[in-house]
Amino acid sequence: MSVPRARLVDLMKAQCQVFATTFNPEGVRMGNKVLRQRLKGPALAAYYPRKLASIKDVKREFGPVLATWDEAEEDRFEYIEELKQRGKSAPKKKKGPPAPTPGKKR
Amino acid sequence: MSMFRAKKLDLGCFVKARTIRDHTKRKVFEEHETERQALRYMIRNTTLPPRVRATAQMQLSQMHAYTRPTQIRNRCIMGGQGRGVLRAFKMTRVRAP
Repeated sequence: MSVPRARLVDLMKAQCQVFATTFNPEGVRMGNKVLRQRLKGPALAAYYPRKLASIKDVKREFGPVLATWDEAEEDRFEYIEELKQRGKSAPKKKKGPPAPTPGKKR
Repeated sequence: MSMFRAKKLDLGCFVKARTIRDHTKRKVFEEHETERQALRYMIRNTTLPPRVRATAQMQLSQMHAYTRPTQIRNRCIMGGQGRGVLRAFKMTRVRAP
């Protein structure tokens, strides 16, 4: 038993209506596969971890209200103190314009 | 390119110039993806007039390189390496430098 083509086409039409796809019995290229593709931009853009709020940011926002505790910063200050005790810290900031060096031609 | 780059750094991982560049490309691609897909649809649709399809082709090829998904490359989030990056871990197969 063979099914007539017209009947098969009718079936295809009904199928397309039910599943909301485009009816295209000749198989003409209509580019619908591009429209069917999912967008991958959001997934790609979320690859690298974004910046989170740091202790410094919290301090800047809630400085007078909230007491924060920054361990890394305290470690840094401690290290600087240590350097100062050994006399190895950074020199003092100069005030005023630098003295003109002798022997330098204009 | 610099016009796409974020004015303030918004990355929380290991950062080097190439990481920032890749991140910028990702964001630009996300922004322009729908436009690219629309043009691709027009190019592939043979029922449209040939002239329309040709112009769509031109427009797609004239878009900036940063809107292209092939420009994106997965990089290591610990060391910024571009080679031998395991997708599941986002890290290189060797220890981060």
